Amino acid sequence: MTPTPPQGHFNILYFASAGSYTSKNVEALPAPLPLRKLFGTLEERYKGIRASVLDHSLVTINLTYVEVPDDEVAADGEEVVIQEGDEVAIIPPVSSG
Amino acid sequence: MGEASINGEPAAAKAAPNGCSRRLTDDEFDRYSRQMIVPGMGKEGQLRLINSRVLIIGAGGLGCPAAQYIAGAGVGTIGIIDGDVVETSNLHRQVGHATARIGMKKVDSLITHLRGLNPLPTYVSHPFHINPQNAAEVISQYDLVMDCTDNPVTRYLISDICVLVCKPLVSAAAIQKSGQLTVLNCPPTPQGLVDGKYAPCYRCCFRKPPPPSSMVSCGEAGIMGSVVGLMGVAQAGEAIKILASALHIPSPPAAGDTPERNLQQPTLLIYTYDLESAVGPYSFRALKMGGRKRNCFACGENSTLTLAGIRAGEPDYVQFCSVPTSSVSLPPEERITAAAYHAAKQKGELPEHILLDTREKEHFSFGSIEGAVNVPFGKLLMKAAAIKRDVSPASEILPLESEKTDVPIFVVCRRGLDSQETVEKLKELGLDNGGKRRIVDIMGGMKAWKEEVDPTFPFI
Repeated sequence: MTPTPPQGHFNILYFASAGSYTSKNVEALPAPLPLRKLFGTLEERYKGIRASVLDHSLVTINLTYVEVPDDEVAADGEEVVIQEGDEVAIIPPVSSG
Repeated sequence: MGEASINGEPAAAKAAPNGCSRRLTDDEFDRYSRQMIVPGMGKEGQLRLINSRVLIIGAGGLGCPAAQYIAGAGVGTIGIIDGDVVETSNLHRQVGHATARIGMKKVDSLITHLRGLNPLPTYVSHPFHINPQNAAEVISQYDLVMDCTDNPVTRYLISDICVLVCKPLVSAAAIQKSGQLTVLNCPPTPQGLVDGKYAPCYRCCFRKPPPPSSMVSCGEAGIMGSVVGLMGVAQAGEAIKILASALHIPSPPAAGDTPERNLQQPTLLIYTYDLESAVGPYSFRALKMGGRKRNCFACGENSTLTLAGIRAGEPDYVQFCSVPTSSVSLPPEERITAAAYHAAKQKGELPEHILLDTREKEHFSFGSIEGAVNVPFGKLLMKAAAIKRDVSPASEILPLESEKTDVPIFVVCRRGLDSQETVEKLKELGLDNGGKRRIVDIMGGMKAWKEEVDPTFPFI
């Protein structure tokens, strides 16, 4: 089972090649975090992950698909913010069989 | 080889939406009784299966288990398309083949197995690979498509054709220890309809393919038979559900009834299996996906995708799936052939050097060049990232506490790509000591080592 994230954190799950790239299945990152800053935050920790993994992956928050904004600058209106205790998942396509 | 004929029936023949109301034969009654008494299936559902045509694309790790349950359940016409032959390394997961059939075309081998299981369905052999020229013709003969293939080029092609000829697609995939399953384009909806809730296609879910450098096949990354088998069985389950409830019949676009007829929440099932832990954390996750995307390249409102275009090579699927990545091109002085490295070492021209082997530790465990130190590529990239963040000193990336900063470094990997990137990375980190230390890629990796130096090397 996935451990509960510590206070002030959310869990991020790395599937398939995201897991190989980070050498982790799961880790806790500080919350809250605007969704538009997620890829930038991961790129800082794992250089090159954006082009190799994130750009073609699906992202879910609490098991629901979310569209990651292309622009890191805050847009007008509502924005999705990853909250404390959320479960985010990075899901690259798998094509073998 | 050649064109497939389906017992002389017109290829466009289709199951009646409600199944026909004929009696079941005694054999059918006996054979399917245990599933017909399941609530929701009944005789009506069984007749729909009998009147259905399913195309299984790929007779491998997904296609074998999927086909067994499709055949067992009594789907009336089962087409299988694959151009490969059975190999020994397939058998741990491709359970529809047999040791006695090594070397046989996979479609023929699998159909032999399926006939033994259930002789009632009509089996159609398409013993060639699916491609942009033949895809539409083959797919349009069926009611539902199961993508059991092993590469992104065909995954995008199959999804695009299914959008254009209005067929539901049950798509599964697996690598190493994880699998994915999703139902696409179901109920099938004509291209361009976006006002309302419609099911997504493969491109709505995965807009861009992964870069080729990050793509691995089961031959490279490995695959657990039970993981891919589970995904194939689940795939058959989804297909049977769709056919038995007639969800595969496209709704007429202008029909007055609700367009989101029976649209279920599009779902992506993820299965992760953990070899490191004997109990517990294997897990399923069902992810809620979005519907059809307005701007989707294939099914969206301004899509220019056509069957004629695909046949003529537009889009170019191979090109689309091989978008240029940061491919490294090292100067000749930073590269050496496996044979030249071996010769230099034999002649004593390389008295002291570091040899890094960047393969995964499982590959390394089967054998390595004498003196090689294993630093898997993924770990190396992580360490490099930590160094860039100034968390650790650059020398930490090297396995040995080497005092001398001029000892040359040689890098070898499996096939010669990661090693070039490693050389680049090490130079970036300043480990070439301003050019005083040589950092050299062994060209072609351990594959070249086997070919040029040691034919007995156990290359996997």
